[in-house]
Amino acid sequence: MTKCKKKKRQDDFQKVKLKVGKTKPKAGNATNINFRTKGINLTEQLKKDANAPTTHRKLNIKDLLSQLHHYSGTVKQGALVGLRELLTLHPSELDQHLSSLLSEAAAVFTDKDPNVRMSATRLLRFIAQSVPAERTSPFFPLLSAHLSCAMTHIETGIQEDALKVLDVLLDHYPALLAARPALLLTNFLELISHRSTGGGARKGQEGKGRSWALSVNPNRNVTGQQWRLTVLFRLGRFLQAVVEERRGEEGVACVSGDMFSVLNGQGGANAPLELNWEELTYGKGGFQVFEHSGAMPTPHSTFKLRPETEPGAGVSEGLGTGEAVRGFASTLVPLLLDVWVEASASDRSKTDSAHLLTPDAMSLMYQVLSILQLLRKLAPQREHQDTLDAWFRSEYLGDFKQHFMKNFPYGNLDTPKQRRKTDPKRSKQAPTIPGQTVEPLALNVLLCQVMVSMVTLSQGEGPAQEPDAEWLMPLRGFVQETMSSGAKLSQRHLHTLLETVWRMVTTQRSRAVTEDLLQAVYVQYQQMNLNLQTRTLLLSFYSRLYLQEHNHTHIARSRVLSRWLAALPLQLSQLGHRNPALSDRLLLSIQAAASRGNKALLNSLRTHACKLYDPQEGSVVLLPAESQQRLVQLLYFLPVMSQGLLANLSRCCTAGRVSAGLAASLIRIIHLRSSLSGWSVGSQDATLRDVDYISFLFSTLTGFSSDELATLQEAGDESVLPPSPLSPLSLYPTPLEQFTHHWDVVEEVCHCLETLGSRSQCFDVLQNGICKNLMGLAVVPDSMAAGLLRAVARLLDLSFLPSEPLLRFLSRCCLSLLSLLLTLQQDTASENNHKREAVWGACVAALSSVPRLLRLVLQSLQVRDLCEEELPQLAQILSLLLQHTALCNQMLANATLLQRIIQDLTRYCRGESKEQWMTDLLYCYSVTMATHHGNLGLRDIY
Amino acid sequence: MSAPMEIVLSADSGGQLWNCAVLELHSGTNLLAYRGGNTSSRSLTVLNGEYILGAQLGKNFINVWEIQRKDQLQQKIVCPGIVTCLTASPNGLYLVAGIAEAIYLWEVSSGNLLAILSRHYQDLTCLRFTDDSSHFISGGKDNLALVWSLASVVQLDPSHTPEPRHVLSRHSLPITDIHCGLMGPQARVATASLDQTVKLWELSSGEMLLSVLFDVGIMSVTLDPCEYYLFCGGSDGGIFQVSLCSQSLSRDKTFQSDNEGNQVFKGHRNLVTCLSVSMDGTLLLSGSHDETIRLWDIQSKQSIRSINHKGPVTNALIIPAPANMFLPDSRPGIPLPRFSRHLNPSEHGEGVETGGVCLRLAPHTQAQRETYLEKADKLYSIMSAVTDKSVFGDGENTKVRVSELEEEVRTLKKVNKDLYDFSTQLLTKPI
Repeated sequence: MTKCKKKKRQDDFQKVKLKVGKTKPKAGNATNINFRTKGINLTEQLKKDANAPTTHRKLNIKDLLSQLHHYSGTVKQGALVGLRELLTLHPSELDQHLSSLLSEAAAVFTDKDPNVRMSATRLLRFIAQSVPAERTSPFFPLLSAHLSCAMTHIETGIQEDALKVLDVLLDHYPALLAARPALLLTNFLELISHRSTGGGARKGQEGKGRSWALSVNPNRNVTGQQWRLTVLFRLGRFLQAVVEERRGEEGVACVSGDMFSVLNGQGGANAPLELNWEELTYGKGGFQVFEHSGAMPTPHSTFKLRPETEPGAGVSEGLGTGEAVRGFASTLVPLLLDVWVEASASDRSKTDSAHLLTPDAMSLMYQVLSILQLLRKLAPQREHQDTLDAWFRSEYLGDFKQHFMKNFPYGNLDTPKQRRKTDPKRSKQAPTIPGQTVEPLALNVLLCQVMVSMVTLSQGEGPAQEPDAEWLMPLRGFVQETMSSGAKLSQRHLHTLLETVWRMVTTQRSRAVTEDLLQAVYVQYQQMNLNLQTRTLLLSFYSRLYLQEHNHTHIARSRVLSRWLAALPLQLSQLGHRNPALSDRLLLSIQAAASRGNKALLNSLRTHACKLYDPQEGSVVLLPAESQQRLVQLLYFLPVMSQGLLANLSRCCTAGRVSAGLAASLIRIIHLRSSLSGWSVGSQDATLRDVDYISFLFSTLTGFSSDELATLQEAGDESVLPPSPLSPLSLYPTPLEQFTHHWDVVEEVCHCLETLGSRSQCFDVLQNGICKNLMGLAVVPDSMAAGLLRAVARLLDLSFLPSEPLLRFLSRCCLSLLSLLLTLQQDTASENNHKREAVWGACVAALSSVPRLLRLVLQSLQVRDLCEEELPQLAQILSLLLQHTALCNQMLANATLLQRIIQDLTRYCRGESKEQWMTDLLYCYSVTMATHHGNLGLRDIY
Repeated sequence: MSAPMEIVLSADSGGQLWNCAVLELHSGTNLLAYRGGNTSSRSLTVLNGEYILGAQLGKNFINVWEIQRKDQLQQKIVCPGIVTCLTASPNGLYLVAGIAEAIYLWEVSSGNLLAILSRHYQDLTCLRFTDDSSHFISGGKDNLALVWSLASVVQLDPSHTPEPRHVLSRHSLPITDIHCGLMGPQARVATASLDQTVKLWELSSGEMLLSVLFDVGIMSVTLDPCEYYLFCGGSDGGIFQVSLCSQSLSRDKTFQSDNEGNQVFKGHRNLVTCLSVSMDGTLLLSGSHDETIRLWDIQSKQSIRSINHKGPVTNALIIPAPANMFLPDSRPGIPLPRFSRHLNPSEHGEGVETGGVCLRLAPHTQAQRETYLEKADKLYSIMSAVTDKSVFGDGENTKVRVSELEEEVRTLKKVNKDLYDFSTQLLTKPI
């Protein structure tokens, strides 16, 4: 073996023998110099790339990113600052390099140099400000990995700065952060505590199985308390983000947090189809109501076979299920309690009274409580929340009572100055947190909310409720005092307080308590000058409470509530048109109460009805259409309709400030409430007398009040068509809009009158009404005349003979309308079409259904009295009537009259210009006669 | 003549001669007429194919006929108030009536009043069962329709007030009619209201699927068995047909505009109060306040037949013909017991909660058996009564108690005979 080695060595180091006279062999490392060199001239070094913008140091984005890998902290910081500069100057770079930017910036979260970390945070904030969440989402796993790496870093400085990074993310991407809460939550826990290893610590604890214990790191440059405060503050914000994320997912329906904002919280996931009959008939084809053609039930079905998710275990599962939340809470809550106990112990040493807290302690407690409150809201579903509340109660009620409730109404200890003097450096260094100054009111209110949530529904009142009552007493006292002190509360506090009151009222089934609490809220409600939001909040609190009354008799009997209800109609009428949104709210509550037949409300509604339905300044004409409809529907529930109210309503219908459709439904509702409609189930006393009802119908039919008619009689000639032999009444031409409105209303009234029962009696009533009220008029609105003719035609029974004066009046109306029709026909504007048709239809219907009317009209046509210009008009009227087939037979019955008129006409008319209308008339006449004779002839044959 | 498959059952509020008439669906021939009184609206119902029940108009009782005996009332069920609506469950086990604002639920086999539900705030207008009798829906003048699960309502725990499964609260005026489709708890429910809308709901989730706004108040509503169409009877006499699924993806919309207005059945002159569709979905029956019943062909929307009545029609429904109706010699399978007017009379007497549940397995096990728990309770109460008496010796009190107990015991059946002997021995010995 040694031999072998030797041999090898000899091979390696062979001795080169040099001999004289021979050329020296070249060494192995000799340089071969058989080459030539040439110079390359670079005309420009580092030519500026046209496409890559640079910083003022002429570095483009790639250079900067590569510099982030430099070992020197200064270079890295410079690069970060440069990046920020570059991105502000050229925002387009951000879009192109987002992925590399984020990954590189995130990598330096854990840098050792605090300056680098600070710059990285600034850069991140800058990026976050300009990039929306959906574009960051693909890189977010990376970001959060780096973040949790930083949060769990062994160096305290990095941990602290990680919280700042978290702040940035919470500010800009709360939803993304909340989407995967599991890992971050453990990180939070690790920041303020440590997991006790092994079973030793567990046995040491009082058998409660705690695996986490608070930890204090003496190396930090802030006190343990302040550190915890900062961590808890972030945790609170994070949980808030999670809660909001969840709320967004589930829609508003099942979240109790927004209890007052949604009044009728029925908004499910699939929005119902709202259709209109008109659209349905004339609009586009069919629609699909049932998804899967009804084969599968919607996921909102309340029939469930088993829970959707299996119970998970621990925090690692995230917060998706109730069990997971509970697991997390069972870790966190003891820690929170410990934090508070420590803080209060150190605080106690500074103050003599336990009620007063230093600002630090106060904000710490505030954070602790708000996290507790958020934990409650984390439960994914409503039913889970109840079980979670019950669990909280069973586990921690004792602790909470001991630690929080003992010194309940907390006050502010006003000694911050001293502390700053003693230790100015430290207080300067302490991280400034936005929510650090907490006012005692907020703290107390929050405490109320947290504690009240622990009260469970008592199954039966009895001794079981007693222990709760003992610690609820101060809470109740505080709430009452705060609300009833009359001071203005901010929106948020008020909301929290109202939720507290709500919880107390629904859980504490005692009438006295309810009364006191509601009274306190009422004091707030009665304040002047509340802004809209607050007002709406209070309003919806009460209305929700009222809607809940069915299973809480103590609420239903509350006197404050009924006083509130009774005041609503007055408020509505006083509000007028000033705030339609608030009026709508009020109306919703009124409608709900009215439909339940609440006595107090109905009485008050009755007294204020005339004001509400005033045709001039009542709410019914001032509010937008939707509220108008509610008001009209409200009429149904009125126990009694007085004469005055009906008069007002009739004016509302005719005045045109309410749409025709709504007026029609108003009339229909009144019709249903009258005893004549015949629709009533069970015992029901009629709300209005039949006399009043019929007079309502009649005045709606005429469409003009007696005052208006009286003023019309005295009006000058300029607004009114003058009377002439051809139009014995002078007509007041109503505007087209009013005419169509009145026409629609008339149709509805006629329908109501038709269904009243005996037609002849009904007509008798109508006849009397016309005779008494309208006969003496010299000026008649054309809409009224047409309406009357329409009603007469529709209502007349063959067996009933109308009285002579009525017929005479109607014939005058009819003749006037016919001559109006001629003037209308000259005006070819298409918008008059409807009016023309309506007038013509009314005349024809009346003339054909009442033969005597036609005869009277013809009799009143005295050719002698007419001037020459009117002759063609008369001829036109006659030919119109003759052309109409429905009237044909009746015209024939009056053939002698006709013949006389035509003879007169031919006698009186001279000159060639009139030939045209004359021949027209004669032609019509002869055709009518001929068909008649033809018919007769045919009849003769058979 | 072969027995008719489907019949029309109709009643009006003015007829003197008869209360409700039975017509053959296709020929319109009058088959039967049941005599006595008048029936109020939405309160005519057939119980188990063996009895016809109708609430008397304006009075506080329900007329009951055996279905084969048209001339004679079987009994009158006296109620605490005027019955506004009435319906029997399709399986014939329960009877539900709306009396003022409360719903009364009877068990047919025993006649016990099982529950009084007062969740409505105003008078009830309509009650409907699902076809599997698992739920019922009540509509009232307080704009609410409530969905009740029968199982949750029929419970023996008096401390727990039953809550409706769903509250359908989107109407803004009184509900006039309800129709419940097929498919049991997965059915769809149509509600009509005076607020001029008809709304379609899903029973399982309580969510609204569809709302159609009309020009007039809607007094009645029904769906055809396939739920292709929704028929809505208006207060002006028109019947509106809403197609619930676009059957053909027709692109020629111009053609559709030709038959515009074609979806209205025109003919009635007053409120259409009741609607019903035949089993095959081809015929529509409508009853109106203009005192006529009309039969329509759905496809062509023509009125096939119009039958005059003597007053506003209150009920008109198409039902499959019950087997017993045309066999005068038949007897109902179960005799109808006396319906009680008070809630759980026995329990009121004792005031103590019993843990037992009465199970009724089949119609022929009519004998009222008590559970062992109840028996044990009763025995215990008797024993304790004896000891109470012997200890306290309160003469009058014990006598009252004894008589009460004796009464109860007397009602026990043969099964309790030995128990009775034993207890009377016990009771009489110390005196």
